[in-house]
Amino acid sequence: MINRTIKRIIAAAALVIISQVSTAGASSLPQDPLNSVMWENLAGRFFPGEIVIDQRVRVSAPHDAEDQMQVPITIDATDLDNVVEIVAIADLNPIPHILTLHPTRAQAFIGFRVKLEQASPIRVGVKTSDGVWHVNGVIVNAAGGGCTAPALAHGLDNWYKTLGQTRAITRRETADAARLSLRMRHPMDTGLAPGIPVFYLNTIEVTSPNGDELAKIEMFEPVSENPTLTLKPLVNDNISELLVYARDTEANEFRFSLPVSDTIDN
Amino acid sequence: MKNNRNRRAGSYSRRHVLQLLAGTACACCGSVHANKLAYDLTATEIASGTWAVHGRSEYFTLENGGNIVNVAFIEVPDGVVVVDSGPSRRYGEALLQLIEKTVPGKPVLRVYNTHHHPDHFLGNQVFDRTVIAAPQQVIDNILAEGDGFADNMYRLVGDWMRGTAPIAPGLALEGDSEEIGGRKFSLFYLSGHTSSDLVIRDDQTGVLFSGDLAFYNRAPTTPHAQIEVWQESLQTISALDRELILPGHGLRDDSGASIEQTADYLDWLHRGLSEAAASGLTMNEAMALPVPARFQSIDVVQTEYQRSVVHMYLTLEDDLMPLIDVK
Repeated sequence: MINRTIKRIIAAAALVIISQVSTAGASSLPQDPLNSVMWENLAGRFFPGEIVIDQRVRVSAPHDAEDQMQVPITIDATDLDNVVEIVAIADLNPIPHILTLHPTRAQAFIGFRVKLEQASPIRVGVKTSDGVWHVNGVIVNAAGGGCTAPALAHGLDNWYKTLGQTRAITRRETADAARLSLRMRHPMDTGLAPGIPVFYLNTIEVTSPNGDELAKIEMFEPVSENPTLTLKPLVNDNISELLVYARDTEANEFRFSLPVSDTIDN
Repeated sequence: MKNNRNRRAGSYSRRHVLQLLAGTACACCGSVHANKLAYDLTATEIASGTWAVHGRSEYFTLENGGNIVNVAFIEVPDGVVVVDSGPSRRYGEALLQLIEKTVPGKPVLRVYNTHHHPDHFLGNQVFDRTVIAAPQQVIDNILAEGDGFADNMYRLVGDWMRGTAPIAPGLALEGDSEEIGGRKFSLFYLSGHTSSDLVIRDDQTGVLFSGDLAFYNRAPTTPHAQIEVWQESLQTISALDRELILPGHGLRDDSGASIEQTADYLDWLHRGLSEAAASGLTMNEAMALPVPARFQSIDVVQTEYQRSVVHMYLTLEDDLMPLIDVK
């Protein structure tokens, strides 16, 4: 009993030291416009290096989440040049990291939906090739419970049969960029709902027919059930098809191809 | 409004705690807040012996306490008939006082619940449950979703909800009319705004209580809407004999304009979101699409349009995005 108490005191002391260290190291951090209690912690963890608050990172989300299981987010950083990575996090989710997009040959744009456990900042860091993180975000008000509730799929007897079933739309939106919207059936289990182990799509890669990577998404637990993603891959005249590869945490693999029209369809 | 599925057995919600506090509040909180939250309800006579209690044309806020709904009461020879009971217990109490002031000494013989949305039935607590009536499907919907709605209302409007609990009607309506206290009421079992929407006509005055199938200069809400079914119900209503319509939200309607406006808005909503989903727009991009000029003067149209995107988009995407062969 005394041992446990001592251990707790040591743990508490360690916490104090750690938090003081992170406060000291964070003195060069720009002030968080969203005033999140998690800012110093998350900035150090997800955006290592120089950080600037940048309105050119446009984050669209509703002020109030009508359905906390499917909160729509669209990130548009196309006003920035040389984007190498886009990281989206929900500060106050039990698992903050939503996804990371590598727009290798794609516009710095992504649409997706997220589960929110409570009202939270949606924070986006866009890394440019000079190593600087351009950060912006919005606060979404939400009712509780998005991450710890079971997926709707678990109300169905046969959800496994439709795992990976995909719907998609592709069109050439401008001369050199396509719009790709897709939905893949997957429960995206967080592991936080009682009795349901973690199980989610964690990789989506879009390539050209000759194998060049156009975009890669690393996805995590907070992405909504049946992930619905919108990307804008760059498609020159020779690309009339997009190849998509997806994989989940149980190593199920899914492959499909999507045609891109020659003419602009706007 | 899908919070209900997140409730777990054995967990205490904010609502339960506030309900417990309500029982002990007088002992400790004193007079400071005693009269702070009061619905200022007024009765407007819209036809002989028929009063509308108009709510504000707003969304639920901490300021309006959920009073955004049109409730009505009718003096019949032997008593009073009430259409919908408002968003909270506190509202129900204020409504009862207003009825007693307007029609002194007459008992409430019937309370109709037009559908299961929280602003229309959460005042049920103050009435004798055996006089509260609705179609069986409305009762089932209240039993299934009432708890979740009440929780969400506590989140949205706060302390106005103190002591409120969802009470399902004690009587399931059958038949196409009933006589209450010496007055005949016609009953129409429609749907589309929700899976069950009751429309009531006072056959003496010709006042048609449309529930939320018709909105007038207040944007329609769609959390449980089936647009095509709703449009059919609006056609049914427009063919009914009537003198005037009291919509669930917005102004009284003497001409049928509420039906036309609701049908026009729903048609635009369905077409516009179908086009957006079919062209692969994200929900956020769809939310940013402009609302046509003819709807700009409708109250809370931007808020409700954005909510409707969330309500309708997933289904439209499933209908409109083609299936792809996956290997």
